Amino acid sequence: MSIEWLPFLASLSTLALIYGLLALGLNLHYGYTGLLNFGHVAFFAAGAFASALATLPPPGSPEYIAIGGKYTIGLGLPFLVGMGMAALAGGLLAFLIGLTSIRLTSHYLAIATFAMAEIFQAFLSNEEWLTRGVYGINVVPQPLKGTLVPVEQYTYFYLILTAAVVAVLLIFAQLLTESPFGRVLRGIREDELAARTLGKDTPRAKLIAFVLGGALAGIAGSLWTHSIGAVHVGQFVPIVTFQVWLAMLIGGAGNNVGVILGAFVLMLIREGTRFVSNIPGLDRFAASNPTFVPSLRFVLIGLLIVIVVRFFPNGLLPERRRRASRSRGGRP
Amino acid sequence: MLTELLQTLIFGLATAGVIAVGAVGLTLSYGVTRFVNFSYGELLTVGAYATFVLVHSGLPLAPAAALSAVLVGLLGVLVARVFYDPLREWGAFPLLITSIGVAFIIQNLLRMGFGSDPKRFPLPPMRPWHFGPLYIPKAQAIILVVALGTMLLIHLLLTYTLLGKMMRAASDNPVLARVSGINPQNISRVTWFVSSTIAGLAGVLLAITQVAIQPAMGWSFLLVIFAATLLGGIGRPYGAMLGALFVGLGIELGTAYIAANYTYAFAFIILVAVLVFRPQGIMGGIE
Repeated sequence: MSIEWLPFLASLSTLALIYGLLALGLNLHYGYTGLLNFGHVAFFAAGAFASALATLPPPGSPEYIAIGGKYTIGLGLPFLVGMGMAALAGGLLAFLIGLTSIRLTSHYLAIATFAMAEIFQAFLSNEEWLTRGVYGINVVPQPLKGTLVPVEQYTYFYLILTAAVVAVLLIFAQLLTESPFGRVLRGIREDELAARTLGKDTPRAKLIAFVLGGALAGIAGSLWTHSIGAVHVGQFVPIVTFQVWLAMLIGGAGNNVGVILGAFVLMLIREGTRFVSNIPGLDRFAASNPTFVPSLRFVLIGLLIVIVVRFFPNGLLPERRRRASRSRGGRP
Repeated sequence: MLTELLQTLIFGLATAGVIAVGAVGLTLSYGVTRFVNFSYGELLTVGAYATFVLVHSGLPLAPAAALSAVLVGLLGVLVARVFYDPLREWGAFPLLITSIGVAFIIQNLLRMGFGSDPKRFPLPPMRPWHFGPLYIPKAQAIILVVALGTMLLIHLLLTYTLLGKMMRAASDNPVLARVSGINPQNISRVTWFVSSTIAGLAGVLLAITQVAIQPAMGWSFLLVIFAATLLGGIGRPYGAMLGALFVGLGIELGTAYIAANYTYAFAFIILVAVLVFRPQGIMGGIE
């Protein structure tokens, strides 16, 4: 198997950045606020579909006919508007889910968000007028491809675009989590009752954190769908959620830079399994069973989840230890 | 109209039977281990595949199913020993995440061994019984009988045996159970065995209703089991049976009368509604 290394590394880095952005959103939920969100993939899906439908050429237009479109909704808007709508879609879905279940504690919230992501996926696969169901939409426009940016250079251009978007959002997340609001979120994570006793409106703060994290995942969905030029319900299965969890835990929950690093580590490990079929002895199985290598990859991901939780609970870049300032007031 | 409703109810009862067996097993293990086990669905899948293999190697269905259930029981004890016991004192979160990792490991090992394609479950062909316009497939009747038998056995176990009383005591008040001389480690091991055996059996029943088996069957069914478990109140075996009845009928009625494509989604909607309006369930869950 020969591959061209440079484009491969570029698209791998793009994917890692997209997962890093998903992890940044989840970090806001779990790493800072302690919310167990097991349905993150739903916000990712909402953003991907919103951005795709916003930017597709309208049905009936010459472009629609030229690309042989079969979808029913296409607004023909610019890419950046699509990304904005993706953020809105992810945030809105998080708002709806959060409104009903944000007050649930620990594993009940995990089950509720997991179930709601499944309901959302059932909705997307059954409402074919919106998503074309199992067929998906394979003609999602890729910004500037073939016009300003030559097709051969597109992988690198898209990597830079993704890196720029993720950098801006990383700064946003960092400012947010270091602000007094971020302190409220950490307070909720450590002891919600105490935070409430100090007069903090904790349900509201949790809902805001949930919505912002959902919006970040929505933007990740937009970056994803335009990077591959397609959107398909089958891409949005629960394993995506748990890979984002794994990226966050590898990097270090509660550390914004760490979770993005975690996504890169995850992608390196995951893509490393591509070469398993070259190992003598295993190649025989890989040839006889087409699902052998992809399944082995998920076994490794499962194993990695177990190992990280058990042996590296703080991740590669643990959360910074914070001390209360000593300057104000003496001991009581 | 009425026949159609009765027919739907018959199928609903069989579905409820499968869910009930799965939910009772899950709720028993929660009672002692106190975490929501996301790898529980995979035990169902292993039960189905083990039966598949045993029947193909020449065993009749019933002994193959019984043997598979016991094997799954032992697998459950092993998995708990390797993955969950070392984290027992760490609180619910690490266990929860670990159980997801375990689910992926088991599910994809099965996929590596058997491939992703559905395999026909080796059920001998049986004629359905006819009652006027109604018909009852024998498979559904078998499921119902096995499910009721399992419920009865669990009831007898919990009510009349010392072991069952110890399991209930450990579930109701772990500290009090401990000071009364119940060894928490032994009781947890026995509970893993019982609940995993039940899971293996539920997997066989699920395979019978679905006709074909595939590696994700248990994982997809997990939320349905969660729905019944939480509806009944988590950790409450009798609540789980009642919850299963509601969820099973809900799935079949929803599929027949509201939207055919959303089958399991009806269970998920029940699940979310329970969590939002009555998180303690019908019987009041344990915490």
